[in-house]
Amino acid sequence: MNKKPFSDESLNRIIKYLVIILLGFGIILLAIQFSDFWNWILRAVKAVIVPIGVAYLGALIIFPLIKYLEKKGIGPRGFSLGLVFILTVGLIFSAFYFLTPLIINEIKNFFIDDFQIIVDYINNDLRNEFIFGSDLYERMLAYINETNIIADTVDTIVPNLILSMTNLLLPLLTAIALLPILLIFYLNDYEVISERIRTIIPAKHEKNVAELTSRLNVTVGAYLRGQLILMIALGAVATIAYKLIGLKYYFLFGFLVGITNIIPYFGMIIAAIPPIIYTFIATSGPGPLLVLVVNVILQFFEGNIFQPLIMSHQLSIHPIVIIISILFFGSLFGALGVIFASPIAASIRVIYRFFKDLRKEKLKTTQAEASAP
Amino acid sequence: MIKKERPKIYTKFEIDAVTFYGTMILFIPLILVFTYVFDIETIIDTNLFLIILLIITAVITIIGTIILLIKKDSLKRQVEANYIYEFYYLVTIVVFGILGFVVLFDYLGGNRTYIANILILLVVIFVYILLKLGSKFFNFDYRKKK
Repeated sequence: MNKKPFSDESLNRIIKYLVIILLGFGIILLAIQFSDFWNWILRAVKAVIVPIGVAYLGALIIFPLIKYLEKKGIGPRGFSLGLVFILTVGLIFSAFYFLTPLIINEIKNFFIDDFQIIVDYINNDLRNEFIFGSDLYERMLAYINETNIIADTVDTIVPNLILSMTNLLLPLLTAIALLPILLIFYLNDYEVISERIRTIIPAKHEKNVAELTSRLNVTVGAYLRGQLILMIALGAVATIAYKLIGLKYYFLFGFLVGITNIIPYFGMIIAAIPPIIYTFIATSGPGPLLVLVVNVILQFFEGNIFQPLIMSHQLSIHPIVIIISILFFGSLFGALGVIFASPIAASIRVIYRFFKDLRKEKLKTTQAEASAP
Repeated sequence: MIKKERPKIYTKFEIDAVTFYGTMILFIPLILVFTYVFDIETIIDTNLFLIILLIITAVITIIGTIILLIKKDSLKRQVEANYIYEFYYLVTIVVFGILGFVVLFDYLGGNRTYIANILILLVVIFVYILLKLGSKFFNFDYRKKK
């Protein structure tokens, strides 16, 4: 049987891809050779990208509100922008003003009232109640004391943690300081900036890129807004529920629920651990079972009511895909990867669907042209 | 031929009436749930606070009913394919309202030991009401939703 030989066109394509791959490897090799230089360039790029990126994400959250006001006849842009800006700053300021003292107060009270109880529990009660027997507990304690494992681990982890925090915090603090100014200019000239960016793109791809960008903006914007609402709603519900069952540090634990909810599926589990451990050790207040029940109900509300209601239209990705993306992007980019795993997964899906639609459209056009007389 | 029964689409007037009276029923619990977190009972007597809230609710209900009746004709002419956002709103206030009813139970001198039982009972009742309302008025059948 005769094998179909490669056509010139497919051979050309293969050679083209091979050259691109080789060039890619060449660039990576060069980058490795001059890593100091690239790091220097990357730091400069990062210093620009982080504030602009944060401003862009902020604009995605705020811009629909400005558009809504303008649709209702509240304008011009400067007025609606000023209104939304004052409202946003006011909300953030009042949240900090009222909530921060409460949370700090609870942390202080924890260290004054309960920290010693927990230490005593680990030193005395845990020895007697240790599930594998007090003998094993003694051996473990002796091993810890002999090898100095805790001090060594702390010595290794703390400097690394401080270094990574500084690396993350400095650009983030700069971004936060610049954010109001960048946001005002960006939101004021939102359409103009988008138009200018479009002019950079070659005319051949302009329409497709504009369509893809608009789809991505809708998805990421909806995700960010949904996530923010979800965090506030769940944090509030958890705080109220914890107070109702008589949990002592309800603000702190409720705040934890709100913050950790930024990580889909795992967040609620992470947030449930501290209050359960606390109620297990604490002498007064509700039992760990009640806290567990409250968290299960919260998880039910989050998974079955809040999450589908707020996110469904924009982010209907299967939970398994979200979990896989959390693991993958988490190992790639650390904490930021875990936080942004869902929008990245959603964006990849949007890009995939866009190219699928594009191919379908192309096929339709070719078929129509072929059938035309 | 068996004719497939099409769901009745309600006018904006009916939907607005459901959401408005739903909000009014849950108004006191909704306010209580947020004031409870900030320990309002240390600032004002709870009975007095409840009476003030009751008066405010009654006034808003009367004003809202009058507005609904004035706008009745124009609202009756407005029909939307679905009222999903109105349903989302109802679900959100019900979640906070449930907690508010437990706060009300606490303020009215109920035994704190039974708070978890009350909470579960209220969740069951309100989820049932929401499912019924969703399928009847909002064209939202949770059991069929995939």
